[in-house]
Amino acid sequence: MSGSPPVGRPDLHRLRVRFGKDGRLAYLGHLEVAGTIERSVRRSALPFSVGNGFARRMRIQFSQALPVGSASACEYYDLYLTERVAPREALERLVTSTPASLAPTAASYVRGRLPALEAWLTRSAWRLELSGTGGAFAPPAFDAALRELRAIGAISFMRGDRPRTIGLDDTLVSWAVTPRQGRGGCSVVDLVLDTRSSNLGALRPAVLVEAALSRPVLAAVELDSMRVLRVAQWHEGADGSLVDALSDGVTMPDPPAKR
Amino acid sequence: MRPLRQDLFHELEPLLARVERPARYLDHEWGATERQDGPFHVCLIYADTYEVGQPNLGIAILYNELNGAEGISCERAYLPWVDMSALMRERGVPLLSLETSSAVASFDIVGFTLAHELIASNVVEALDLAGIAIRADGRDEDDPIVIAGGPSAWNCEPLCPMFDAVLLGDGEGEIVDVARCARDARAEGAPRDEILLRLSRIEGVYVPSLYELRVDATSTRWGYAVPRAGSLTPRIVRKRCIPDLAATEPVAQRMVPYMGVVQDRLAIEVLRGCARGCRFCQAGMTYRPVRERPADQVVEAVASGLAATGHDECSLSSLSTTDHSQCASILRALGDHARDRGLRVSIPSQRLDSFGVEMAAAASGSRRGGLTFAPEAGTQRLRDVINKNVTDEDLERAARNAFAHGWRRMKLYYMMGLPTETDEDIVAITAAARRVLEIGREVCARPRRGRGGVSVSISVAVFVPKCHTPFQWVGQLARDEVRRRQQLLLQSAGDRDIAISYHDSDVSVVEAALSKMGRKGFDVVLEAWRRGCRFDAWTSQFDYDAWLEAGRAVGVDLERAATEEFPLGARLPWDHTSPGVSKGFLQREWRRAIGGVTTPDCTMTSCVGCGVCPTLGVSNVIAGDRHVG
Repeated sequence: MSGSPPVGRPDLHRLRVRFGKDGRLAYLGHLEVAGTIERSVRRSALPFSVGNGFARRMRIQFSQALPVGSASACEYYDLYLTERVAPREALERLVTSTPASLAPTAASYVRGRLPALEAWLTRSAWRLELSGTGGAFAPPAFDAALRELRAIGAISFMRGDRPRTIGLDDTLVSWAVTPRQGRGGCSVVDLVLDTRSSNLGALRPAVLVEAALSRPVLAAVELDSMRVLRVAQWHEGADGSLVDALSDGVTMPDPPAKR
Repeated sequence: MRPLRQDLFHELEPLLARVERPARYLDHEWGATERQDGPFHVCLIYADTYEVGQPNLGIAILYNELNGAEGISCERAYLPWVDMSALMRERGVPLLSLETSSAVASFDIVGFTLAHELIASNVVEALDLAGIAIRADGRDEDDPIVIAGGPSAWNCEPLCPMFDAVLLGDGEGEIVDVARCARDARAEGAPRDEILLRLSRIEGVYVPSLYELRVDATSTRWGYAVPRAGSLTPRIVRKRCIPDLAATEPVAQRMVPYMGVVQDRLAIEVLRGCARGCRFCQAGMTYRPVRERPADQVVEAVASGLAATGHDECSLSSLSTTDHSQCASILRALGDHARDRGLRVSIPSQRLDSFGVEMAAAASGSRRGGLTFAPEAGTQRLRDVINKNVTDEDLERAARNAFAHGWRRMKLYYMMGLPTETDEDIVAITAAARRVLEIGREVCARPRRGRGGVSVSISVAVFVPKCHTPFQWVGQLARDEVRRRQQLLLQSAGDRDIAISYHDSDVSVVEAALSKMGRKGFDVVLEAWRRGCRFDAWTSQFDYDAWLEAGRAVGVDLERAATEEFPLGARLPWDHTSPGVSKGFLQREWRRAIGGVTTPDCTMTSCVGCGVCPTLGVSNVIAGDRHVG
């Protein structure tokens, strides 16, 4: 979909754009989002750079794939421009040309030599709204189930027809569960997750919740619906400090709910 | 009782996480008409999945026409895939429109495009899922008016019990006339029968319930349709034809899908109609006359369409784009526009001559994928029978030229089971492929296989006789004989660099039966749907045995229906509809076919007497000068 990152091209300008994904468009897959953004960029008439390969693709890179059905307030793409356009103007043009549910919310230039977004943004914060029934559908039971999973250290699950395993020691950084007012006999809990990705994989919130629901402590629980929202993404420095995706190297304070 | 018009997305949304490709059901695409104030509402349905139906240019044209008309709103609907339709039935969710998620049954008019024969069972499925009575005669006064049109409407008899009206020919203008007529009649409180009668007065509109079937010695066993006594409907409903394509909006498809669709690009219709006169080709007969858009309009439309949609590819769409009299200047201008923006221009098929290759080279710039030609038949004798006016020398010259221009992969389209075909014609297909391969190896001087090597693939379809063509009287080749010839084809390949693929003979039997049957054919369609047939154009879903059993259950032998020949003088099931081409011309063309006599293209020589221009009061509109290729 995207053109390869330009090596040794100081003449190109790397514009980093933050965008959301919500409403119905939360059900778009990663490639569908990428395709839609590329067409939005073309409509914006920004001076984007085109690769030299057979397919002559736009030079654009995206942050890690967001699972289908998940919303986000903080997805990113890096767009390589052949001319420097003021970030505010670029943002305005992109907002005008992008579907509202994927609308950009911020843009700034970053250094060309930063690693690709997908590898660089390794930390994510998530907010999940879980709605269901059953006596145990409450924060303490979820908290206990997550502690059990953490003690086991890994989750085995199926992706399509392939068995997969994801370790939790590195990928599950922290969580917090809080109750919320439900409607019509349903209980609702809010689950805040902090996750880390690496070459070994990324933890999908839905996979974690499904594994938690399989623990005996949540066995009597019926999950009616789950809404997933990615609320932040950062780069994690070697010292554990978190770097805002748009700040190009400025250290940010630790996220809340660290456990 | 028609359901209330209301947004039901909240009923669909909980199902999205449980189905394949939820993007099929999201709508709100860039360029879609979100304001749907009506007050008269039309829903156009392509009865297949979103990714198959979304690129359909016909629906896009009609969508724009209707949404541009005062007081009329138009939405789209597609058929949910089997996983979603099962969940919808389980939860009691009806078929919904895309733009406002309103129940399809709540619309004033519901329109289907009949893109091909195999969509038949999906139309039944769509009506059932929508909760609309499948048979037109089972609908209540207030139910939607169900209409249909499109390329396969020419023998709509096996489907017409489902339709209140069928629109023949160019839909621009016609669809708006139909919507206005129904709206005004409804506003006056006219009963349903009166509305249908008024619709039948509109040029190009066929109302099946106003025609009765007769079977007698002058007809085939399927009978023929005549106006009901007192209905004052025309004995022959002739198609609507727009005289000038340039007067229509050139950028019809402005909606940009979120998901990958089968033709994921901007499509600009550069000309409509084709007068080459291939005798098997239904579109070549039914879309006449030829009407070209002028080059400057095409170039401007491509630029503005790409800017508005963000597509990186544009297809210059038509039945025969390289026949456009200004094709070279269009491609030259577009090449300049596209080169620096990573944009691609594609043309759907190449003329089988050097000009075709030059145009393909101009369209593709420096890219060289595969190049496709359609000789259709292996020998000159058979090409003369089908009036495919190309020679072995044309193919060889085109191949040499293409390899010299850098192409390495060549695809050749043929048909099997054409009238008068013999084993010699089959073996000649692979002989032609070997000759093309030989030329490629000679021109390219590359290793025989592997990277850089040349290859030829042959795709062989089974001939399906279509109505309103010179071959409408012939039967399809029997299924066993098709299979024998397919084996003969495989055995004669003789080179590992020639890949052969051919169409499923079972699918072709159903296509042919649906092409040739009369109104009684609907019993088969309905029974096949009841036995689970849907998405028949999908290999994974097609169930030949279910179709055969459905036929048996209602007393129709499908294989006999497909292979049956009709006498040249017989009244045919579709004789009451006409694309303007006279039956006399078709009979003459049949006789010339048997004699191996070819007929020229009237846009390059003189009138061949097909009857379209005087009958419809139109003529060919050629923007520049056409020359024999």
